[in-house]
Amino acid sequence: MVKVANVKKKASMLLALTLASTMVLSACGSNNENKGSESTGGEGASGKPVTLKVEVFDRGNSPSGSTITKNYLTSYAQDNFGTPNNINLQYVPIPRSEEIQKLNVLMASGSDVPDIVFTYDSPTFYRYAQQGGLTELGELLDQYGPNLKKFLGEDTLAYGQYEGKQYALPAKRAHLGKYSSFIRQDWLDKLNLPVPQTTDELYNTLKAFKEKDPGQTGGKVIPLGMALASAQYEPLIWSFIQPVTEEQRYTLTQQLGSNDYPTLLPGFKDALQFMNRLYNEGLMSTDFSLDEDKKKLGEDAAKGLVGFFSEDDMNPFYADALYATLQKNIPDAKLSAVDVYTNSEGKHPKPEYAPVGLYLMIPKSSKNAVEAIKYLDWMASGDNLLNMQNGVEGENYTLQDGIPVTKADASDEVKNRIYNWGDMAIISNGKQLGDTEKNVEAYVFGMPEQFREETRKALSVSRSDTIKPVLFDRPIEAQSKYGTSLRDKFHEIIVKTTMVKPDQFDGTFESMMKDYMANGGQAILDERTKAYEAMK
Amino acid sequence: MNAIAYLRRYWQLYALLILPVSYFIIFKYGPMYGIIIAFKDFNFFQGINGSEWIGFDAFREVFAMSDFYKTLRNTLMLNGLDLLVSFPAPLILAIMLYELNIVWFKKLSQTILYIPHFISWVIIGGIVYQVFGTQSGMINNIVTSLGFESIPFLTDKSDWLITYLVVGVWQSAGWGTIIYLAALTGINRELFEAAEVDGAGRLRKIWSITLPSLKPTIVTLLIINVGHMIAIGFERPYIIGNTAVRDYSDVLSTFVYRIGIESGQYTLATVVGLFQAVVGLVFVLGANYFSKKLADQSIL
Amino acid sequence: MRDRQAGRSFDVINAIAILFFVLLCLAPFLHIIAISLSSSRSIMSGEVSLIPVELNWNAYKQVFSDMSMIRSLGFTVMMTVLFTVLCMLMTIAAAYPLAKTKLKGRKIVMFIIVITMFFSGGIIPEYMLVRNLNLLDSIWALVLPGLISPFYLIILITFLQNIPDSLEESAEIDGSSHFRTLISIIVPLSLPVIATLSLFYGVGRWNGFTDTLMYITSPEMYPLQLKLYQLVQNNMVSELMQMEGATGQSMLQPESLKAASVIFATVPIMLVYPWLQRYFVSGVMLGAVKG
Repeated sequence: MVKVANVKKKASMLLALTLASTMVLSACGSNNENKGSESTGGEGASGKPVTLKVEVFDRGNSPSGSTITKNYLTSYAQDNFGTPNNINLQYVPIPRSEEIQKLNVLMASGSDVPDIVFTYDSPTFYRYAQQGGLTELGELLDQYGPNLKKFLGEDTLAYGQYEGKQYALPAKRAHLGKYSSFIRQDWLDKLNLPVPQTTDELYNTLKAFKEKDPGQTGGKVIPLGMALASAQYEPLIWSFIQPVTEEQRYTLTQQLGSNDYPTLLPGFKDALQFMNRLYNEGLMSTDFSLDEDKKKLGEDAAKGLVGFFSEDDMNPFYADALYATLQKNIPDAKLSAVDVYTNSEGKHPKPEYAPVGLYLMIPKSSKNAVEAIKYLDWMASGDNLLNMQNGVEGENYTLQDGIPVTKADASDEVKNRIYNWGDMAIISNGKQLGDTEKNVEAYVFGMPEQFREETRKALSVSRSDTIKPVLFDRPIEAQSKYGTSLRDKFHEIIVKTTMVKPDQFDGTFESMMKDYMANGGQAILDERTKAYEAMK
Repeated sequence: MNAIAYLRRYWQLYALLILPVSYFIIFKYGPMYGIIIAFKDFNFFQGINGSEWIGFDAFREVFAMSDFYKTLRNTLMLNGLDLLVSFPAPLILAIMLYELNIVWFKKLSQTILYIPHFISWVIIGGIVYQVFGTQSGMINNIVTSLGFESIPFLTDKSDWLITYLVVGVWQSAGWGTIIYLAALTGINRELFEAAEVDGAGRLRKIWSITLPSLKPTIVTLLIINVGHMIAIGFERPYIIGNTAVRDYSDVLSTFVYRIGIESGQYTLATVVGLFQAVVGLVFVLGANYFSKKLADQSIL
Repeated sequence: MRDRQAGRSFDVINAIAILFFVLLCLAPFLHIIAISLSSSRSIMSGEVSLIPVELNWNAYKQVFSDMSMIRSLGFTVMMTVLFTVLCMLMTIAAAYPLAKTKLKGRKIVMFIIVITMFFSGGIIPEYMLVRNLNLLDSIWALVLPGLISPFYLIILITFLQNIPDSLEESAEIDGSSHFRTLISIIVPLSLPVIATLSLFYGVGRWNGFTDTLMYITSPEMYPLQLKLYQLVQNNMVSELMQMEGATGQSMLQPESLKAASVIFATVPIMLVYPWLQRYFVSGVMLGAVKG
């Protein structure tokens, strides 16, 4: 017996030992690795080419013959920037849908992280900046990036600052408009109704759609197409928000993720009450709470069941998208871009984008910050951005009044050259042609010819009476902490208050708001109030 | 027998264990130092070693969140229902298949029954909305055409529970039969013949021959399932669930995803993970203890 | 007579019930096939259920003309086979000794293994480990970290414990070594469960892709499921995607292409089970031996 126990004991001790040693070993290993890679980085002056690693989004949509790390645009950058400067450009693919998680792991690992990384997620940028993982770019930008600095401009650069220091270079957004609304013009014509000009008129029009069913849908008509996505509910909700003072705007707005939410602004409850009324009177999509990806709304609208809906300004007009499908199903269907939701001042307020796209960052561990800035500066200078976004003049596009128009008859091979321009031309979101009007025209010319006029209208709707996002000079920590949870709670408020019977509306609203405030809403409010005081 | 003689006789068995045990030590215990993230204010750039110790602060933070208790309750509720409904389903299905006498139909059914396992949850989610939707879902189209009120399968909390279970059974039952069918190949066919001579009916034979031969497999799976009562996959509740039923569909894994991964707070995610691990271990040891007492079988 | 009749009605009800469930399981698959063969107009209008509308093969033409898909299929098959073989070798090697309840030290080893079912270091240390072992961006990063599933190991142990001791004892008396007993008696007797676990490992590897997201950067080593995931997931509209604005919109892939890719990536692995079913029959021999 004693011996048996001994064997057992020895076995377990042995195990414990090996266990401990592997743990120590792996810990050591990671340290060594870090040091090793640090000493081998950089130092291109001695004639050896510097390797500059640049993140690139991988969406798995590379056409046959190219890969995400080797394609027309990577060669273009290597030939025109890399080789002349003795720099080897290496692209590091990050899966688009898991970008933040993968970036987190790479950042934590220290050594594998690219020299240029980016994300659309401002909380992630703030987190990296706050934890001291980013290179400060102010001086580098002055010294090596004059073209870039000029291109991005003050407004955009302000979004890349953390506690007054430039830690990210946000890409510049070409078009700030977000949403437009659309109505079935052929239905209005059939019923001899004018285009509704106010929310009240819209309500009457929706009622008429429901009662008279001009599309002959057999009772399946959905007067107001709704989904649980910001493009659908934001135009409605923001139009109920009452005019606010500067102080209210700063303190009562809640930024959850990258968007501003009006949860605490005066008028929010009225908006929900309106939605509740529409829902209970059967004027709105019944299953909107399930439709977070707008798929159902798209189907219903394409089938010709929907009378009126709001959407991202350009979405219906792409080739083979909603409008094209609708016309295939119902040849004489006509969709008009309209601006209907009206606030108490007679305006049509709706949010607009911050003037930024990707947040471009250089990790502190990078030894090639200078080269990284040079790369971005190169992209901003001369015709490089134009070439990266549009391809070769005469083959991919022709210039009309300074606006590149894609040649529809180009071969697939030629078209595929720039399949990933949006992810390679990282200093810009959308095409940059000097001023907003031209940028918008570039979008218009990207659409099928028969939809261009309507696209132009939608793009002007989305740019009028817009509400700018609120920008503090310091990050609100409670927002990055509770943002994602509260975004879900915000949706819960909308869904529950909309779907509840009208007589239970008040009670539901009160209890939902209480839950929202208790789970971070109050914390954000307090911090924003304090930040506003400090800023004044 | 002394140790040397023991080893001389059994060294081959220990030799077989060398590689597997090293695997566990290197690949499973090697990274386990990551657990200390739960006790540190994790900073991406200072790494696990460089981050500051915060003791049990993160635990206090998690245990103070009302969402934690809600998601914990939902996790136990959904898993408990699964144990009652989704756990026996493959067993019943396997016995039904075993009783099937038409060989080609049996083989074909087996192959088709496990198809749902291969369809990713994202796609299942889309199909679920088409089938169970209130406005134009397939089932409700039939229900309303018969003149009844449409049923909010996805937006009413209790109806949703049923949908959740039905989809779960549909997705996993066929796949789950495979292990039972493998176990059933071990039955001695002569036993059936003997029982027939005794005049036993079909159900009687299932009860006294088929089921007992599956007992070891059932008990093993049951113990492991109990151990996983507090762990729950992310995709099924997340994709079948929706905002209207979040009171029930929000579970620990979605909670961790939200507060930990999406918000980059790895410390909080690790705290919840550690809590789940400890509870899971206690559960599995408890189940193992009872199974040893009641069924004379254990996995440890 | 009455018994036989009762038996027959049992058979009929049983067969109908199974048929019903079979149809339920088949329907979504038919739906995906139908989508892959339909026009984008009919898909976007939600007209497709189980039968293709405006039949066309464009999506399949596109999938099969994409060399990267074909190469990815080859890589996935190779990785899955390598993974499954190694997993089974390791699992059998572990299960055989651990099935012997009297083996000294067994409890400790079992405990060490069961712990790993619950505790793990998390994504960052695991990444560091794979990096420190120099496995990043290699097929081994997808093979080695998952070699033994404690769950499947326990299942195999349970099965092995049900093989009557008498068989092994007689082999031992014949002077057979443990190695030989394992290879010539235990493995042949356990073919059904070995086939089952191989299927579990193989399918798990085939369907898994989260590790590839972390460990693989060369597009040549993208398994099919990763490519599929990118196709399907990129169309998800999230708050983050919204920030992309028009940049992301113009990159959406048609639904029919997604569906065709799903079929392309799923059918090969689904064919494995019918092929493995032969081992389920041979297991009947075990009963004979036992008796």
